[in-house]
Amino acid sequence: MIFREVEDRDLITRTRRGDVESYNLLVSRWEKRVFNYLLRLVAHREDAMDVSQEVFLKAYQNLGKLDDPERFAPWLFRIAHNEAYSLLRRRRPEGEMPAELASAARWQPLELSLAVDHALQTLNEDQRAVVLLKIYQGFKFEEMAEILECPLSTVKSRLYTALDLLKTQLAPVVMEGSAVRRAGAK
Amino acid sequence: MMICDLANAKPDWKAYGLGELNASERKQAEAHASDCGPCQQECSELQGTLAALATVRDEEVPRRIAFVSDKVFAPRWWQAFLRPGFAAAALLAGAIIVHGFARPVGSTELTAAAQAKLTAEVREQVAAQVTQRVQSEITATMQATLDSAVKKAVMETKQADDRRTVALLAAAENRYQETAAFLNKQVTRIYAMNSGAGVR
Repeated sequence: MIFREVEDRDLITRTRRGDVESYNLLVSRWEKRVFNYLLRLVAHREDAMDVSQEVFLKAYQNLGKLDDPERFAPWLFRIAHNEAYSLLRRRRPEGEMPAELASAARWQPLELSLAVDHALQTLNEDQRAVVLLKIYQGFKFEEMAEILECPLSTVKSRLYTALDLLKTQLAPVVMEGSAVRRAGAK
Repeated sequence: MMICDLANAKPDWKAYGLGELNASERKQAEAHASDCGPCQQECSELQGTLAALATVRDEEVPRRIAFVSDKVFAPRWWQAFLRPGFAAAALLAGAIIVHGFARPVGSTELTAAAQAKLTAEVREQVAAQVTQRVQSEITATMQATLDSAVKKAVMETKQADDRRTVALLAAAENRYQETAAFLNKQVTRIYAMNSGAGVR
């Protein structure tokens, strides 16, 4: 038999049969992506870590309900999204969002990093979620609609509005960056 | 400010930049942009924004998520009964028992027709069993290959995790050294300043 890479669906099948190691492997494959999505959404490292744990526990407990193993990624991110939003809802009465996002990622160069950080924080939670799912997780519109449990048209309109806002926010830095690059090229 | 001639029918540049257009839509959009200044500008501004956003790097997970190894999450004893292999075996055993009870009594002498029918049935059953056995051997071979692949992947992941832990520890140590050196320098500087002030 020709060797093929172990796919997520193989690991899901084996996990359903009770093979815990397979699930641990599945976690290793996805933890970084889920953690980074949550980190940028909830903007707090410890909260993101706690929610990640919760997400993988819930996914494990509900793996039997996943109809199509090929749809594991959108299904997992839907759990992550719902968990993040329940945390954000719990936090809301306190008002302010933690301002840890600045240290949450390594940006290059520093000015651009601060600008992108600030720009992302100006978005509301729904807008930030669509930007994170599209730009940083690379999901298709259809998958995003599945994750967010809303119509595709809503996904598009949220994302387009968010991009317009980001464009305005980032315009000075993007223009300066282009000017610096042009000067460097001469 | 210039406006695209196509107005509302102009290409969806955001979908273009986000990779959501199919090949023919992309081609159409690019053909239009080659002659349309406003669209070129819109497209270039969007690319600038996307490029800025793309500078963000993913962060490593600070701790491993490995809680599922905990025995608490292992399947319960009764869940074993729900597994397909066990269920199939139970079904087969049940069928044999039912067949044993339902078999007609006193039919020891068989007619030639019945004999022929029985032979055909036996042949059919043997053929079916052979096919089943070959299939199960193929499945077992495939399963064994997959098992070894999973084992290899698990081992590689564990090694990668170990490497990641070592790297994180090294980075933390490095940060500590840098901070210590910085503080040392500051203390030396302040001490020198104060000593200078004292001389005067």
